[in-house]
Amino acid sequence: MSVDQKIRAFFYYVSVAVFLIGLPFILAFSFSYKFDRRSFKFTKTGIISIRTQPPGALVALDKQVLPDKTPMSVPELLPGRYSVTLELEGYYPYISEVDVDAGRVARLEKVILFPLRPDIQQMNRERISFFWRDETKSSLFYVNRDENVVYRSDLEGNRFEQVCSFTPIRPQPKKWEVSPDRTRLFYFNSRQVGIVTLPQGRKNRDAGSVVILNFPSDVINDVFWYADSYHIILICSRRILICEAREDASLVTLVNLAKRNASGFYDAHSDSLYFMDAQEAPDGNVYDNLYRLEMRNRMYPFSLPVLLL
Amino acid sequence: MGKNHNRRVIRFLEILPGALSWCIIAFFVALAIFKPVYCAVLIIVFDFYWIIRTIYLTTLLVMANRQLAKQRSRNWLGSCQKIEGWNGIYHVIIFPVYKEGLDILRPSLEALKGTHYPLEKMIVVMAFEERYKPAAEYAQSIDKEFRGEFFDLLTVFHPDHIPGEKRLKGANATWAAKRSKEYLRSKGIALDRVIISCFDADTCVDKEYFGCLVYHFLTAPKPHQASYQPVPVYNNNIWYAPAFARLIETSASFCQMIESMRLEKFVTFSSHSMSFKTLVDIGYWPVDMISDDSVVYWKAFLHFNGDYRVVPLYTTVSMDAAYSSNFFKTLWVQYKQKRRWAWGVENFPFLVSRFFENPRIPLVIKARRSFQLLESHVTWAVWAFIIGIMGPLPMLLGGRFFAQSAIGHNLPRITGLLFNFTVFASLVWIILSWTILPPRPKGVSWFRNVIMVAEWLIVPVVILVLGSTPALDAQTRLMLGRYMEFSATEKTRKVV
Repeated sequence: MSVDQKIRAFFYYVSVAVFLIGLPFILAFSFSYKFDRRSFKFTKTGIISIRTQPPGALVALDKQVLPDKTPMSVPELLPGRYSVTLELEGYYPYISEVDVDAGRVARLEKVILFPLRPDIQQMNRERISFFWRDETKSSLFYVNRDENVVYRSDLEGNRFEQVCSFTPIRPQPKKWEVSPDRTRLFYFNSRQVGIVTLPQGRKNRDAGSVVILNFPSDVINDVFWYADSYHIILICSRRILICEAREDASLVTLVNLAKRNASGFYDAHSDSLYFMDAQEAPDGNVYDNLYRLEMRNRMYPFSLPVLLL
Repeated sequence: MGKNHNRRVIRFLEILPGALSWCIIAFFVALAIFKPVYCAVLIIVFDFYWIIRTIYLTTLLVMANRQLAKQRSRNWLGSCQKIEGWNGIYHVIIFPVYKEGLDILRPSLEALKGTHYPLEKMIVVMAFEERYKPAAEYAQSIDKEFRGEFFDLLTVFHPDHIPGEKRLKGANATWAAKRSKEYLRSKGIALDRVIISCFDADTCVDKEYFGCLVYHFLTAPKPHQASYQPVPVYNNNIWYAPAFARLIETSASFCQMIESMRLEKFVTFSSHSMSFKTLVDIGYWPVDMISDDSVVYWKAFLHFNGDYRVVPLYTTVSMDAAYSSNFFKTLWVQYKQKRRWAWGVENFPFLVSRFFENPRIPLVIKARRSFQLLESHVTWAVWAFIIGIMGPLPMLLGGRFFAQSAIGHNLPRITGLLFNFTVFASLVWIILSWTILPPRPKGVSWFRNVIMVAEWLIVPVVILVLGSTPALDAQTRLMLGRYMEFSATEKTRKVV
């Protein structure tokens, strides 16, 4: 046998030996067995896996600080309850009790560390009284009640601009809402609805005009823009109305309500009105029900194409 | 044993490797779904085995590389001249040619001319295929250019449609060997004094090749009961080949070097040499099998009842790296070449069926060689799947319970460890790859050196794409009885 073949045989047997000796240790490690050199025995342990957002937090296990930072795993833990403290400079500490079972992984992997001084940014650049988020969730609207002005910005607070002025109503408006085509804005209280035409470049000559609609015989609970952005739906205490959002508009009563101050809402997607009302059952009792009114059928004469309006 | 019975046995042996490979893969997938813990254990065992094996084989590679560095620069002719009778040895050198043009053939013959060995001892046989019409013109040109350079230059044309033959390289080489035998008889040269070398058409031998060959032939205990295997390298166009192809070919050279250290498993591959007398005695190369280079070894092994071996020659024969005009074509060319190599699995039914008929070979040897052959092919077909694809499978299919277990948590760490060891082995391979690389040709940017190192980063991709799939493809074809046809590998050489 040549020298090379002897060396090769040596390496071969060493490799076999390493495999046979190393494999039990590798498998023991895989199953989280800990080898006790004193007792020469394997003990089944558990693991804690820790991830934080942001990473890099110091980990203390039963008040003993570990050398590694998150994300990390703590292997070879005897079964039992452990106190885990996660600390990162500039963030609130996180403290939790974790139960470790033999051969299992206890996961602390959804830990969010919240900053001590949150990064707060002022959004408005003018004095405001309140705000609301646009239905499209792309804009913020702000109202200054003292000066009767509406402002708008994007969600980052950028492109902050004055949108329009409005005529105040008393008592203060309950709700403000921009029409689906973003050309108009309504606001209302229990007796009045104000409609402001929003500026749309040079094309809209009525921009900035305000119309106040009065409903002296009704108590308005809620108002919605109809899908065509030309009509408004009013949910009043005794009836549900629809009318054009202009002066001297004729009212159409969609439903007379048996129940006072019933709630409801209009879904533009399905063009349906949902509302609560009470009805007497054959047993003589009165029950509250939720009803759906399909507007497409009832309101067909009003559903004029937007281009014609 | 009846003919039908024999056929059934051969079919069974053809089915066995592919069936085993597919069963292993299916077994792993099924385990990953139904018993993910068992699957993870098997993957860890296999991964650990693979780490140990990689380290062991890399050690062998380093040893083989050391031998190559030591022996390739030795003056082998000088060593031969000290041995009585060296001058009586003749060489028949066969180049089976199919569609290779003069741009491929000329450098091969120039390399022969440039060897440090007496050319008057060489009989060069250019074995063309008659069915390829431009061959006659090539033969004329070769004859005109190289006649008188060697003891003789024969150009032979292998006729098409000889009964019992397939359109294979082995059939062409056998035809050429038979014509050479007639020629040697006519010249009164004894066959037992002739060494035959069968080279691919693009083979350029090292200048010490024949000296090294003759030295080993004359000093071997039973010179006629051995094949002589040089280290195949793919250096002819290596500086121009794309990184992908270069990496695969370098790895193939390394695998062959590793094999040269494992003598008990060593089998002839590609270009090699052997005793002409032995070749005649065993009935030449197979004329109906694609893997003629290894089957010829097994034929000799059976002929000498197991007392036949391969002697490694630590000198190189350089061939062309297989590549094409773009990445995907290169990938396909490489895939086809590796599939053809993997078609060597046809040796298994060939060998085992003949073991049944040969009672003179000890059962232990039969069992060991059969197992080695089967194991090597099955491992080839499944290892990349187990390492690359099966590793994450228990995590994906094992469900929540497995994910919460310690072994589920540790499995990715252990497979990651394997990757790190592979990277470590790659570092050694990168260094060694430089030792077998020819000098950078003029006109090739130095930046290529950087690419040569950086290309090893794509090893994981190459393993996934070309690690096991060609072998599994070849075994599946054999299993289903869809026998492969020989297709010559596309070779591209930018510089001649």
